[in-house]
Order: sequence, then C-alpha cells, then structure tokens
Amino acid sequence: MTDATSRITVNGRELECRAAAHLSLLRWLRDHVGALEVKYGCGEGVCGACAVLIDGQAVNSCLVLAAQIDGRAVTTSAGLGSPSGGLGRLQQAFLDRGAAQCGFCTGGMLVTAAEFAGAGEALDRRSIRDALHGNLCRCTGYQAIVDAVDDVLRDQGSSSPPAGGWT
Amino acid sequence: MYVRPFGYTRPASPLEACEHLRRDDGAKVLAGGQSLLPLVNLGLSTPSLLVDIQSLGDLHGLHLEGEQLVIGASTTHRMLERDAQVRRVAPLLAASVREVGNLRVRNRGTIGGSVAHADPAAELPMCLIVLEARYLVDNGARVRSVPAADFATGFLTTRLAPDELLTRIEVPAAGPDWGWGFQEVARRAGDFALVAAAAIARCEGTLVADLRIGLAGVAPRPVRCPTLEAAARGRSPEALPELAPLVDPDIAPSDDSFTPAHYRAHLARVLAIRAAQDAARRSLDVRAA
Ligand SMILES: Cc1cc2nc3c(=O)[nH]c(=O)nc-3n(C[C@H](O)[C@H](O)[C@H](O)COP(=O)(O)OP(=O)(O)OC[C@H]3O[C@@H](n4cnc5c(N)ncnc54)[C@H](O)[C@@H]3O)c2cc1C
Ligand code: FES
Ligand code: FES
Repeated sequence: MTDATSRITVNGRELECRAAAHLSLLRWLRDHVGALEVKYGCGEGVCGACAVLIDGQAVNSCLVLAAQIDGRAVTTSAGLGSPSGGLGRLQQAFLDRGAAQCGFCTGGMLVTAAEFAGAGEALDRRSIRDALHGNLCRCTGYQAIVDAVDDVLRDQGSSSPPAGGWT
Repeated sequence: MYVRPFGYTRPASPLEACEHLRRDDGAKVLAGGQSLLPLVNLGLSTPSLLVDIQSLGDLHGLHLEGEQLVIGASTTHRMLERDAQVRRVAPLLAASVREVGNLRVRNRGTIGGSVAHADPAAELPMCLIVLEARYLVDNGARVRSVPAADFATGFLTTRLAPDELLTRIEVPAAGPDWGWGFQEVARRAGDFALVAAAAIARCEGTLVADLRIGLAGVAPRPVRCPTLEAAARGRSPEALPELAPLVDPDIAPSDDSFTPAHYRAHLARVLAIRAAQDAARRSLDVRAA
C-alpha cells in the first residue's frame, strides 16, 4: 500500500493518521499534527532533536514511519505537563536551572530524561550524562541540563551520590 | 527528510513476507529502521516497498533453550541490554550492547537488523562470532542454519538471499568458568567504533586454556584472530601483550578521512590484548570464588 491509515494517540489525544506510507512520524507530527516542539535536526538518528516517547520509550521520530505505529501512544515534550495543566517536574527543573537557551534540543532532552525518570532508575551524574549522550546541544554546555535532570531524580529518590560524591 | 515515496506492508507470516520480497526487486525488509531509514532519508537507498516484520510475533523476545540463548531477530538492543538472563549466560552481549549508538537507537534497533545490515564496525555481529552463534534463515519454504562466522561476506553484504529473513540467533551459553572482555575506541560517545574487540577465555590453574578473540572495524567484516588465539594457550594473562603483533595476519584495515589504517591496526593490537586479558582475569576470578 502507498497510503496508510493508523490510529495514533498524541499527548493523550487519539488521532487518525491518513498519510503516504513513506511519511516519517517526525513529518506527520510537525506538518499534520502541528507538534512543532518536535524538531528536525539531522534525519539520521544522531542529534536527538526529534525524540519523542512511544509507549514510554524514547525514539528517533525521524527514523520511524507513522504507518509503523498504529495503535501506539506518542508523547512529545509538550505532553510532559502536570495533570493540572501546569509545567511538569522535568519542565520546571529545566526552567529553574536555565537548561534551555535556543531551545532546539530541549524537547528531545526532556523526553529522553522522561524515559529514565519514569523508569525510576537510580542514576548518578555520570549515568545521566551517559543516558543523554545521544542528544546534542550546541548552546548550554550540558551542565545545566544534567543539573535539571539530577534535581528531578533526586527529588523522586532515584538518584544517589556516586562513591566519590557529586562532581 | 523528503524521501522518494515507497509502499509499506505488514505481512502476517514469514511466508507472506518472503513472497513480497520475491515479487518485488525493490522490496526491503524493515525491522527497527535504525540503519535502513537513515539511508533512505539520505537518498542512499531507494526501496519501492518496505516489508515491516515487526508484526511477526515469533521473531520477538529471547529465552533459554537448554544450553543456548535463543534471540528472536526482532529483539531490540534495549531488551538484550536489560535482560537478567543475558547478563548471566552471555555477559559479553550484555556489556557490548550498551556501546551501540544511543538510547533511542537501542530502543528500536533490532539484533536481527544489526546482523543483517553487517556494518563491519558493529559490536554485536563481532561478539556473535566470538560466541560461535548460529543464525536461522527462512525463505518461507525452507529454514537453514548459518554459522555466524560465515554470515557476513564483506562490507554490508551477507549470505542472505534477497527473499530470505533472518529469524533467530542461537548463542551457546558460555560455561561458568569462562570470562569475557570487551574493549572499544570510538571518536565520540555513541559513534560507531573505530575498532572494537571482544574476547572470551577459560583458564586452568593460572594459565589460559582457551581463548577466542574477535575484532570489528579492521576489515570489511568482523574477524576472529586464530593465530593469536592459538599462541595464547598455556600462557599467563600477564604474558599476552607480547603476542599483540599476531593479530596482523587476520586484519585488513583501510584508511578513511579521519583514521589512517595504521592507527586502526594499532588499536586492534592494543584492544585485542586488553580484551583477552580482561577475559582471562575474569575466568581466574570465577575459579578463585
Ligand atoms: C545514530 C546511530 C548510531 C548507531 N551506532 C551504532 C553502533 O555504535 N553500533 C552498531 O552496531 N550499530 C549502530 N547503529 C545501527 C543500529 O544498531 C541499527 O539498529 C542496526 O544496525 C539495524 O537494526 P534495525 O532493526 O534498525 O534494522 P533496519 O534498519 O530495519 O534494517 C537494516 C538492514 O537489515 C535488513 N534486515 C533487518 N532485519 C532483517 C531480518 N530479520 N531479515 C533479513 N533482513 C533484515 C534490512 O532490510 C536492512 O537492509 C547506529 C544507528 C544510528 C542511527
Ligand atoms: S532529526 Fe532525528 S535524530 Fe536528528
Ligand atoms: S539549547 Fe540550543 S541546542 Fe540546546
């Protein structure tokens, strides 16, 4: 088939995706759903600007076809707010720490962090860096981003100091 | 991001998948898409039809079957990374898979895709030749079993016929007295390795009794190092470094725009020995425990 119809939930809204089979999830989200918080950086899986969660797992939306995810749930960084409609914890921590400058990488950083924050994994700063190494930021120098993620993990009790203390 | 249009289909059985592949010259298997879709996005691959095998349930998941670990081709890198059985019976796979790409690539990329894509620098196909795995290959009518060592024939090429699917990977579980070692040098975190080395070893007394070493990134396909493996028998782990030049007969590194061949050869010697020593020491640790 050259056209595909799928049902995809985006940030809690169930949508029908009727599109050419070759359409990437990234293009569908940006051009058809208007989810402009999802960015196109490289189209090769390297930069992380296009990252979204599919059923809670961070993926490259540039390397997934919309046709491939019939019945699945997509969360973009805009879907990480608190249930009451305010900022979510990661979003608030990024704001508090000044972890976004131009903002191009921010959506991808947030959803990637959301995957491991959601899994309740115990991560020290090194592991946070390790988990985020596939998300490129050209502005911040990463420090503030790691600080923000670290704040959230510590708050929820899933981050513990490494043997040598916090660096 | 604007690609040449292609069709898409989700077959209900391996037979149906293979029929699509037979009917249409331009059809390609789509697994996790983490190697194929970058090529498509860059215009380097222009398939007419993508046959998505993710719907084939039998290809997902991994389990122990007697003395072997059976990995369905559609098992993701991430599943391998997080599975407790893998850490126990194939710790080399558990350790090396963490070095593949980034989290997002591992969440979608599959083991079958990595093996079928046959990138010469890929970690898992190299580890699988060290572990002497076998691959099951199905064309819908006939299933054959190919030793991992014979599977890749060169740069991004394998013994898979155009209408065949790789369905499962069978890894003999290492005995309890075997140790493992894995070493890799990449230019940046998440990059493909410049050179990676994997080893497993079994010691008797304080000496190496059995050693297997594999290298990636130094030939058009992953290689074993039989000369070095044979020479290591009966030596102590501390005496292995002098054998480093014995990797040379088994590698054929080439230059690229960043890395001269002689540097890759140097890395191959250093990393092969480090991986072998780690493996031998882990084997000694097990025996001491
Ligand atoms: C940014 C980035 C970094 C990466 N870094 C690394 C790295 O460091 N190390 C590494 O090893 N890999 C790396 N990869 C590649 C990654 O591991 C891929 O996931 C993997 O090589 C291919 O698996 P896939 O399931 O995505 O396959 P696909 O991309 O879907 O397919 C790859 C090829 O294999 C064929 N194929 C797939 N499955 C089958 C099957 N069952 N039977 C027959 N043919 C099949 C397809 O037709 C295609 O030709 C990286 C990828 C990216 C995007
Ligand atoms: S645009 Fe998808 S990873 Fe860069
Ligand atoms: S804030 Fe500009 S790229 Fe990260």
